Amino acid sequence: MNKTLQISFSLKNTYRVNSILYSLKQIPLIKKLLPQALYKVRGLKIFANILSVIWEVVSAFLGKFLYLIIMVIGIGALYETVPKNQLFLHIIVFLTIIGAFTNTYMFNPTRDKYYAMVLMRMNAKEYTLINYGYSILKVIIGFLPFTILLGLNQGIPLWQCILIPFFIAGLKITLASTSLYHYEKTGEVNNENKLQKFAWIGLILLLAAAYGLPAVGFVLPNIVVLVVMIISILTGIITARKIICFSNYREMYQIILAQSMDQVDQAKKVVREQSYKTISTDTGITSQRKGFEYLNELFIKRHQKILWKSSRRIAVICLCILLGMLLGFYLVPEMKQRTNEVLMTFLPYFVFIMYAINRGTGFTRALFMNCDHSLLTYSFYKQPKFVLKLFQIRLREIVKINLLPAMIIGIGLAILLYVSGGTDNPLNYGILIVSILCMSMFFSVHYLTIYYLLQPYNISTEIKSGTYQLVLSVTYLVCFFMMQLKLPIFLFGLMAIAFCVVYCIIACILIYRFAPKTFRLRT
Amino acid sequence: MKFVISHLSKHFEKKEVLKDIDFTFESGKIYGLLGRNGAGKTTLFNCLNRDIKMDSGSFYLEENGQRREVSAEDIGYVLSTPTVPEFLTGREFLKFFLDINEKVISHTKSIDEYFDDMSIDLEDRDKLLKDYSHGMKNKMQMLINMIAQPNILLLDEPLTSLDVVVAEEMKQLLRSLKSGRITIFSTHIMDLALDLCDEIVLLNHGELEVVDKSNLDNQEFKEKIIAALREEVHE
Repeated sequence: MNKTLQISFSLKNTYRVNSILYSLKQIPLIKKLLPQALYKVRGLKIFANILSVIWEVVSAFLGKFLYLIIMVIGIGALYETVPKNQLFLHIIVFLTIIGAFTNTYMFNPTRDKYYAMVLMRMNAKEYTLINYGYSILKVIIGFLPFTILLGLNQGIPLWQCILIPFFIAGLKITLASTSLYHYEKTGEVNNENKLQKFAWIGLILLLAAAYGLPAVGFVLPNIVVLVVMIISILTGIITARKIICFSNYREMYQIILAQSMDQVDQAKKVVREQSYKTISTDTGITSQRKGFEYLNELFIKRHQKILWKSSRRIAVICLCILLGMLLGFYLVPEMKQRTNEVLMTFLPYFVFIMYAINRGTGFTRALFMNCDHSLLTYSFYKQPKFVLKLFQIRLREIVKINLLPAMIIGIGLAILLYVSGGTDNPLNYGILIVSILCMSMFFSVHYLTIYYLLQPYNISTEIKSGTYQLVLSVTYLVCFFMMQLKLPIFLFGLMAIAFCVVYCIIACILIYRFAPKTFRLRT
Repeated sequence: MKFVISHLSKHFEKKEVLKDIDFTFESGKIYGLLGRNGAGKTTLFNCLNRDIKMDSGSFYLEENGQRREVSAEDIGYVLSTPTVPEFLTGREFLKFFLDINEKVISHTKSIDEYFDDMSIDLEDRDKLLKDYSHGMKNKMQMLINMIAQPNILLLDEPLTSLDVVVAEEMKQLLRSLKSGRITIFSTHIMDLALDLCDEIVLLNHGELEVVDKSNLDNQEFKEKIIAALREEVHE
């Protein structure tokens, strides 16, 4: 027993340590500093081990803390009419029921289980019992400090605060043993990552109960909560026997892991097939053009689903929101002044919105997966003049696709500004429209540029460039930060326009200078 | 025409994969490139195809005593897993390729004639390439590389996963294509190399060397190759 514990921990740890080292190796700059025989350097191993232990502790405590603070107290703070203490318990009860079948440990097909039980043929029962016991222990110990701390704060008696973690554990055990029992009877396994239809319905109903009922003023009475908690703890204790006595862990995990590990090993294939699915099989699609325009037209037409269709959909949604706002102004005229104030300083927020609706990442991804990935292996395709020619065509297309919703948003904002009371500087209307169009253009150029300059994929469609991912993350962070920024339309608009224009010019120069060399398959 | 590799080297971190390779390939021959797993065959191909940067060295074509740089259109590279643009039909891919190369391609046949050459069925010609079988994708890839008539044809394990009939067709095709160009064919299957190739070149310890067949029979020749590959470096 003790040995199993040791082995399974060191296995999980090794796996994690190597993952940490591997991710270090993906960061540009740091990657150059790291030695080649990375995985055997003792100092690094110790460092990663420390990180791994910290992660174990953090995941045991921090996750629970965040869960309670966000899902229970945070959302709970939105309801003002129901008593705080009862609301706290109400939400916990329903979320715990959800967690009991969606976060089981037992039915979660993870890699470490696959390695231990399938590849290394460890004793499945011992392995499961020890790790399951540990995971339940982590639930209790991880929750206890916070249910006490936050529970007392919400006005719940100490003894009931202490009961909560045991209730969570008890319910998890009860459901796990029921699933085992179900498996024995029917041979069907529950895989928590592949919930059945009725489980999804249950999940939605429970979510609705957790957050919907308080909105209409109903929360579970404390007595009901207590009964549920005590019954769960008792059934947990009783049914724990099932988990301990169950003897078919090996065959059960063979099924669960086969379902999922197949996928892990075929992950690439799945990704592949997903991108194939975006290709329209409509045989009516043809093109009368020639050469690269021919290639491009067929590509755009066969990828309607992720390009024009989705851009049109966004445009329609924006249009609806615009009309909704106008209707709102008509019905509730008081909205106008507030909207006007917001509009005057809210332009930075639209950086994030334009970021969110841009089709650029989907476009470059499809370009690679379904087109460049194969064509880049042909030397004719890599001739500099062809690379640049195709870049021009593609840039034109993606700009067009993104410009449609951008037009609606830009003009829509100008209309809203006008209707909500206008502005003393008429230039603002123009700046509003132009800056939104520029932002849209910027994102189109940006994604295509980094795709051409960093071409991050290798032939088996894995992303091999840390820099590329870094650039994507920085893009996200900058856009996210923009949401916090409040600046007048005039100032921010002009800055945005200037930035976008300068960026596009620089990007195109860089492309012409470097893309013929950088637009290659990674190896 | 000769294809000359001069002082080519490439290392990954501390591992020297290709060490100062000096080699001359002559046109009209199929070279069988043999090497153990991880010997660097694909790395060599990637360097020649300029998919990865080499650390040092160069390669060039020599025609009538004139040296010239190898340009992208001189090289055809057929990968072991065939890659074709999935969103096009076979016919569209071929049309696109013929369109953009219309100035370079001298002898033009109709698209269907090309398909006939490769014995690709009528009904398959207008299917999306994503629905092609492995062997058919391979034929498509080969067809494109054949029409382009590159001076250097690099083939990385191209026949291993084909069924026997297609593999035999491909072999015939390669033989018919070999005149006027340099074909370098990497494989792990010794019998295939001996059957198809005019010269056997080993990539061993980062260097290229020809195995001289002189007057050995096939069995002796095989043993010689194995012995050469097995040999450890003694320092």
